[in-house]
This record gives sequence, C-alpha cells and structure tokens, in this order.
Amino acid sequence: MKLTASCIKAVSLAAMLWSVSAASVAQSNDAIWAGVFTEAQAARGAADYSTHCASCHSGDLRGNSNTPSLLGMSFMFIWEGRSLGELYTKMRDEMPSDRPGSLSTQSYEGLLAYLLQSNQFPAGDKALKAGVLDAINITAKPVATRQ
Amino acid sequence: MQTKIENCLVFALMLGSAATAAQITDYQSVTDELLRSPPSSDWLSWRGTQAGWGYSSLDQINSENVNQLQLVWSWAMDDTGAGEAAPLIHDGVMFLPGPRGVIQALGAANGDLIWEYRPGVTAAIEGSDAVALGPEQLGSAAMSATAFAGVGRGVQKNIAIFGDMIYAATENASIRAIDARTGLLVWETPVADPALGYYYVAGPIVANGTLVTGINGCERYKEDVCFITAHDPLTGAELWRTDTVARPGAPGGDTWDDLPLRFRAGSDAWIAGSYDPEANLVYWGTAQAKPWASAVRGTTGDALYTNSTLALNPDTGEMVWYYQHLPRETHDMDEVFETVLIDVDGRQSLFKMGKLGILWQLDRISGDIVKATDIGYQTIVNVNLVSGAITYRDGLVPRIGQQIDMCPSTSGFKSWRSMAYSPQTSAMYIPLTLNCELATFGPTERVLGGGGTGPVRRINYPHPEADGNLGELLVLDIPSGEVKWRYRSRAPINTAALTTAGGLVFFGDWDRRMFALDAESGDVLWQSRVTTSAQGFPISYMVDGRQYIALPAATGGASWSSSLPRELAPELRRPRNGNSMHVFALPVQ
Repeated sequence: MKLTASCIKAVSLAAMLWSVSAASVAQSNDAIWAGVFTEAQAARGAADYSTHCASCHSGDLRGNSNTPSLLGMSFMFIWEGRSLGELYTKMRDEMPSDRPGSLSTQSYEGLLAYLLQSNQFPAGDKALKAGVLDAINITAKPVATRQ
Repeated sequence: MQTKIENCLVFALMLGSAATAAQITDYQSVTDELLRSPPSSDWLSWRGTQAGWGYSSLDQINSENVNQLQLVWSWAMDDTGAGEAAPLIHDGVMFLPGPRGVIQALGAANGDLIWEYRPGVTAAIEGSDAVALGPEQLGSAAMSATAFAGVGRGVQKNIAIFGDMIYAATENASIRAIDARTGLLVWETPVADPALGYYYVAGPIVANGTLVTGINGCERYKEDVCFITAHDPLTGAELWRTDTVARPGAPGGDTWDDLPLRFRAGSDAWIAGSYDPEANLVYWGTAQAKPWASAVRGTTGDALYTNSTLALNPDTGEMVWYYQHLPRETHDMDEVFETVLIDVDGRQSLFKMGKLGILWQLDRISGDIVKATDIGYQTIVNVNLVSGAITYRDGLVPRIGQQIDMCPSTSGFKSWRSMAYSPQTSAMYIPLTLNCELATFGPTERVLGGGGTGPVRRINYPHPEADGNLGELLVLDIPSGEVKWRYRSRAPINTAALTTAGGLVFFGDWDRRMFALDAESGDVLWQSRVTTSAQGFPISYMVDGRQYIALPAATGGASWSSSLPRELAPELRRPRNGNSMHVFALPVQ
C-alpha cells in the first residue's frame, strides 16, 4: 500500500471535519452534566480500576510515560466533543491491554462511571448502560452551572 | 491420623528443602577482567560485551548450515507484564529476567530450572540485612504480585552479573542483589520513592567494580529530578548520584529558563549504558524532556541534559562530557537508546540512534561529533551532517491544539530494540518501524504530581516510502553510513538484532517470526514461528562445544507492539499471552 500526499490530506481533512462536527455537537449536548451514572456504579468501577487498570494508568489515573493520563486537562483534551459510546468502545476493545474485552459489560460500565466521576462529572439516579452511550457527548461544564 | 499428618509434614519439609537446595555447584566468580574479555561461550553483559555490539564471535552456526537450526528447548515465562528480556549466560547457565522482578536460572543446554527468584516469595539469604519493600514503603505504588503490569512499571529488561551475584533494578525503584548460586536475596537498597512515580525498567551495568543504574518514571512534577547512580556491589551502599536534569543555579540550569525545579521533568535513563574500561568512562543516554512539547512544558530552552549522551566517571559520577543530540526537543523524539562503542580508523567512537533515525558518531573520549547520518525517513528536523546541529523545519514546532503532520510518529522509527554491529561486515543492523502521525499536542496541569508526557491526539499512518510495510531491518556501512541492504516486513521488527561471526544476523518480528539472514547479502536463510511476537534481546552462547541461539518472544512492549500493528496492520493477529524463550541449535551429529 502506497500512501500518497492526497491520501494524507484526505485523512487530515477528515480529522479536521471530525473535530469541527464534534465541537458543534458538544455545544448542543450537555446531557452528561445531568448525571448519567450512579454513585454505586462509580464505586464498583473504582474497585475494578484498582484491579485491572491501576498497574498501567497509576492509582491516581495520571498514567506514566507509556500510558496516557485519564484525568483533568489531559482527559478532556483527548475526549472533549466525542461520545461516551466512543470511549466505551475503546475501553472494551483495547483494555485491559493484555486481555482486551475480557471484563463483563457491567465492569466496563462501572469503569466508565468511575472515569467520569474522577473527572468531576456528577452522578445521578439512572445507571449508565452500554448501548445508549453514542447519544451522550463528553462536554465541558456548561457556563450556567459552573461554581 | 497422627501418622498421616506427620508423614505429610515430612513430605512437605522434604519438598521445601529440595526447592531451597537447588543451586549452581560449579559457579565461577565473575571478575572485572572477565567482563572486559568474556569467553565467546558466555554472554556476560546485556549486549554481549561492555562495548554493546550485540555480536557473538561464535561461528559454528553459519550461513552454510543455519537452515538446519532446530528447537532444542523452550520455556514459558510469567505473563504478568511486558516481556523485554535480555538474558545472560555464564558457564552454561542462563540467567533470565522476566516481568515483575522474576529471575530464573536455567541450564542453558537443556532448559532445566535450577533456581528462581520471585520477589516477596524467595527468602533472603541467612544473615543478610536485606530489607524487602512492603506496602508501608510503597504506598500507592504497591501492586499485587500477580497483577499484569502492562507497560512501563514491571518491565525488566537487563540484569547484571558480577562476583557471585546477579543484580537487578526493580519496578519499585530499588536495586537488589541475588546470590547467583542459589537465587536467594542478598540485599535490596531503595533508591527513590516509588510513590512519586519512580521505577526501573533497565538494570545495572558493571563498570570498574561499581553498579551503575539509570532511573525511570521522571515525568511527574516533583521536587526532584532524574538521575544515574552507582552502588557498591557487595553492600548495596550508594556511591554517587548524578542528576540528568540541570537544576536551577547549577551549570546548564539556565537552559530551562526560569522554570523551578519541580517543573523540570523527564531525562529518564531507561536504557542501560555501555562501558569503556580503557577510558574508564560509562556512556549513558537520556530521554526527552517532559511534557513532550516545549509549548506545554513552558520553556523553549535546550533543557539539559535531556536527549543527550553522558560520559560519566564510574568512580565518582563526574560528568566528563555530554553531547545533547536534540536541544529543545519538542515531539517525543527520544535519544535514550543503546550506545555502541566502535573504534573507527583508530578513532575511539560511539554510535547512537534515536527515534528520528539519525545515526550519530561521536568521539567517545572528547564527546565531539564526528558525523551524523540521516537515514532519510524523518520530516521534523534539518541536521547538519558535519556539525550535528539541528534546526526544526518550518511549521513543525508544535503549538498547543494545532495539528502537525510528522514522520516518525511519537512511537519513533527506532526504539529499545537495540541495533547490533558486526566487525565482519563493518555494518550496523538496525531494527526499525516505519510510521508517521498527525499529532496534536495538548496541555497539562502545572501542579505537583501532575505534568506527565502531555496528551497527544494521534492519527497514525504508514510511512509513504514503506510500501505498506511497518518493519525494516536497515543495514548501514560503518563508518560511511551508506545503505548496504534493507529487509522489510509488514509487521514491526520487534527484537534487538544479534550478529554472529557465522556471517549471520538474527532478529524477529511482531508476527511471531524469527529470522536468520546472511549478514552480507540480506538473504533470508532460516525462519521459524513461535508462541507470540518475537520480542526482547536475542543472544548466542556455547555449552560443551555446541552453539545455541536464544530468541525471546513476548507481549506488551509499548506502541510498536500494540497500537501500531493494531491500527496499521489490523489483519495480523497474535495471542494475548506467550512470554517465552526459544533456544535453537544445529542437530547433534
């Protein structure tokens, strides 16, 4: 396979379009700030994180030279404007790195809840469920609710 | 009933004593002189000799008969982390480092286990003052012994042998000595606080009777910097500590502008160095500054002593000279890798290559540049091939949030898979992975405990000149730098290279293949397929007149062994597990 300059430009353009469209979606969808997971889910996720994730991403989620930080500015730089469904799929398909997809759906849901809680997204009454995550975008805290 | 219990206890005690009694009975102490001139049957330094050639002078296996190689034994290693094993051989015994600190002594001719050291399980030697690191000392860095360590912490590349001991550097930032005859712990010395992120992946080397070791895990903001140490092999006492980052007020300190100490991160020393006993100098590489992008770390200064080769006096730790390959580096282009000491036309030289694929030749006495050879794949810098000076190409210095198109990707063309030199062909054999990236560097919080590498939005793509191949073994003539030949493969070349006096070069790829090629012509003379990705450091040795080739396979191994093949060669698949060692030889006549 030979990659041409036009091919590279096309990939680049697609990436730009993706970020533009993601940003516009982000502006119109703040559902994540209404609480899309429960405290119980996040607590279960914290336990699973310790067992399955902390040895690479560190106990404080800040990663190391080979693993990305999952916290704060680093997390939002990668994930802002993208959907929870995309994040869930990446976790399920690629993590834990030694045995991707090996955890239960409930575990992956809990881990996602824990990630959201660690990044200051609020818990709510309704449990997070795989399958309806594509419609929920990861967005910055809406100005009106900032404290 | 009572009798049954007694019998059971006696049996258990017998088993216990059998386990502890296993030992090497005819072990010969390893001296400085032996390390300086090792017999060709041994492999006493992580790259064979202190000069780091990755070359075996054995020639029983050669280009005429290598096609008859057959498996003699194999050995499954722990799957508790990435396998990047660099085994040693002494007097017919293989000392094999595995993930999470496990070391095993195996009969090198038959694969029989003689002893194994297992952290927290194997006892300390009676009468020693060994201090095991427990949860109280490790704090949040404590991991259960069976957890998969993934990448970074838990990797154990090389170990060292000296006197009557095997030396290892640990995932918990300590150095330990293990009795080479019995596998019992003799001492363990904490070196840095693992709770701050410090850990080792590279083990010590022995230089003029001291253990020299480089720390890793320097990406977090903290009130300290990265360093290289020396320890007393007998007692574990620290002899000196040399910073790899210039502190405020120290020589070179202004190359970080006015950044306070806590924000001077990186310069990890995560690959073991080489040693020239004539010059009595240790040569050690340092990694890039952290966070990776200069706009994120807040200085456009040179950031000494990141991405440099350091020449250290092993007796004092004095930095006799340094050469910074990439001042102001700003794309995660690591120059930390192995240092290969070669005398070229009477000039005592050293050779290095970093992620950019620039082969540097330095005078290893003065530290002066001799020449640079750009292998021609990178698109980030212009390099003056005489002076070694680099300048960044237009538009290639990343700004926060602005995408740039660069080759290589942050994974690099070169990584920890060491190149090998052959004096027969006067050539360097360099494992590469060809790839590029649309990269967007992002910000980090400037707070203690934060920092890190900084986030990068990555879109990897194949290198336009690679015809869809990720892997390349590039062979450069030394010293001209001219390409002799290249071997390409769809999968990344995923081991270090091993050259032999049999006119051969051995290496393996991510797609589970092990190869022997004619070192002169590049013809493929032999190949085999093993448990999982070829990964680690191949070696050669001899026992009772028979030459062996030992080829490691493993999972883990960071982006060359995960995201790159997954994204750019998705049709290739491998098992999730399979850390293992495979030993080949010619049939017995």
